[in-house]
Amino acid sequence: MSDKAEKITLAQWDDRYRALCCGGLHESADGGPLRRHVDEGGDRRLLHLRMDNSAAALRLWNLLLSEESRLRRAREQGVLLVGTMKDLGTVPVMAYALDNVIAFYPDGAWWTPCLMEHNEGLLALADRLGVDDSFCPVRAMLAAMVNGEHFPIPDTLVCSVGAVCDDMAAIGQRIEELGFPVFWWEIPHRRASEPGEPSVELPGGLVVAQSQVDFVRDELDRVRRHLETASGQKLDEARLAEGIRRANEVRRRIARLRRFAYLGDPCPLPALEMMIAEILAIHFCSDWAATVAVLDDLLIEVRRRLIAGDGVCPAGAARIFWVNPPADLRAMNLLEEAGARVCGTDYMIAHAIDEINPSPKGYNSVAQGNALGTEPEQHATPCKGKTKGAGEPPPSLYLLAQMALADPMVGPTTERAERICREAAQNGAEAVVVSRIPGASHCATEALVIGRLVHEQLGIPVLDLEIPPLLDPMEPTIRTRLEALVETVINRRQP
Amino acid sequence: MISAGIDAGSRTMKAVLWNRVEKRIVASAVADQGIDQDALARSLFDRLLDENAIQRESVRAIVATGYGRKLVSFADRAVTEITCQRWGVRRQTPEARTIVDIGGQDSKLIRLDEYGGVAEFSMNDRCAAGTGRFLEVVATRLGAKIDALGRLAAESQSPAHISSMCVVFAETEIVGLLASGVSPHDIVAGVQASIAGRVAAMSARSVESPIVFTGDVALVPGMTEALAAAFQQPVAVVPKPQITAALGAALLAAGEGDGRVAGH
Repeated sequence: MSDKAEKITLAQWDDRYRALCCGGLHESADGGPLRRHVDEGGDRRLLHLRMDNSAAALRLWNLLLSEESRLRRAREQGVLLVGTMKDLGTVPVMAYALDNVIAFYPDGAWWTPCLMEHNEGLLALADRLGVDDSFCPVRAMLAAMVNGEHFPIPDTLVCSVGAVCDDMAAIGQRIEELGFPVFWWEIPHRRASEPGEPSVELPGGLVVAQSQVDFVRDELDRVRRHLETASGQKLDEARLAEGIRRANEVRRRIARLRRFAYLGDPCPLPALEMMIAEILAIHFCSDWAATVAVLDDLLIEVRRRLIAGDGVCPAGAARIFWVNPPADLRAMNLLEEAGARVCGTDYMIAHAIDEINPSPKGYNSVAQGNALGTEPEQHATPCKGKTKGAGEPPPSLYLLAQMALADPMVGPTTERAERICREAAQNGAEAVVVSRIPGASHCATEALVIGRLVHEQLGIPVLDLEIPPLLDPMEPTIRTRLEALVETVINRRQP
Repeated sequence: MISAGIDAGSRTMKAVLWNRVEKRIVASAVADQGIDQDALARSLFDRLLDENAIQRESVRAIVATGYGRKLVSFADRAVTEITCQRWGVRRQTPEARTIVDIGGQDSKLIRLDEYGGVAEFSMNDRCAAGTGRFLEVVATRLGAKIDALGRLAAESQSPAHISSMCVVFAETEIVGLLASGVSPHDIVAGVQASIAGRVAAMSARSVESPIVFTGDVALVPGMTEALAAAFQQPVAVVPKPQITAALGAALLAAGEGDGRVAGH
């Protein structure tokens, strides 16, 4: 079997795995053939996916699909398990700064009904628990908390609430009602400063009132103290700064991978594997070191393919900017089967992908004369005149507060749409797909807002597509829409 | 110089033979759908050839479209109905800027740019409440034929308000309306308004005139008026609305349209 890039079925992966092993495949402790995730883990969706054939992709899939067993091993070893909910990328930076602490997102169970093709019964159990399909499929998390058959029950649960997903707030409350205490922290609706009010520019270019950053910093300080109590360790500035450094290591790699994968022609990595790689940003799939190694492998593979002119989509495939993660992973296969490739994404985790800026605008540096310092001790503090001292929040919390406020979900959809337009234009997108998540409160009107702005600013087609956790019954109509979009793009290329 | 377009729709199969030199439809035919779409398409196609004394070898290329487009094994290529509707409609009504296509099991809204290209399109998402299937259900429930629905609706004094979001629940709602003495005329008018309202809702971003109406449901009397009321703009039915997608497919097979000539 050749090393030429292609997407292959699970059955083909069986042969591919044997061939790779004969060639001296290097694997981590979570390695092994992909087939075992079907046979042992019940992840039957793999039988219907086409996956990248590289050893790097094998490691990526194995990292993703072995997370539950990794968490259980950690539990047995006495590691503190922090269940973080909704914030997608902020609290884990704090948790991973501590020794013997792992943070993970129970929210991630929203993909379990897809992966296990409903055989696990999570959505049916959520129905019985009073959270029906008028909610986002993230309700699978509630059922997984109750039946305990997927991830281990976290030692503590931390959930952001306020200007975030209504579904998450409701489901989090239901989880608490069922006897799982939740540590809540609040995030306000992002707003610009009022006249005369100090403002701060966030990573990604958004500008907010500084009082909001201060408020979120104080909320995150509550989380910090909660984690200190739970872990019995001090979460001080040095540790936080190291946590940020580690998060940025991952974010920088993902940024590089996005550049190579989304701008390279022919497309060097399938949309499906790219999506999983991007999602690693939020909590490193419970293993920071393995995440870094997997991303490095992917970068090497992508570079190799780019140099060789090798790709997984035909050159000249329709360039699509994809918005929101689809509830069914197979949607990404369908897009490519229709003759398109992904050239940019917004999976609602921009704040987990943008680098955490150690020298943000609007702050004075603690270290006088070194305003651009990047060492942990030189992180910025607010303009308001607060100084580092006893009882003051560690300066790095300001940086995390800024990232949390940059969450696309906590501000107006128009701000998210502006970023989508900017990136779609930069990456030469010829169309935008807004993939709606059934029941998700943020999806109710965002396609309309994003579509209007894309139409006005870029004049390219926007396809609004709802993807259920298992799209099979809707596959013909989804396929038709994607094919029609590709036809439209190709026709628009002609003079 | 003949080309052929076959539209394997969810409810009916349509075929068109197009003469590229004379720029005219040579023949067209419509048949109810069946289980073996490939055999049905072949039989319809062969019948058209026989009736018009055309040899198979004279057909330069065949393009299939519609829900079952990939099941038509003898087609040279498959193209979606969105692209085919664009070409079929534009051939007949070049001024069209918005196409409403309501078929048996789905509905589409296609917005065209100033050059007649597809700018954007949307399709109904979840259920049959915005499709011809809804009309079939109400016709069955009222014991009427589909083509009688227009006459019934025309006599409506006060169209009923159908609020259900899905056809199954709407049927229950209709039973309740009948039981409470609402006339069939008002129920049919209400159903037509409901379908039109759902289709108009798909145009949330924009709809530009002229709006043209195509698809099987365009043949149902009363629907055009219901759509015009929903869009608050005039709506015109395309000539031969049942075969516009098949015509577009035949045009593409002839190399008219996207410049690519299929097959052979």
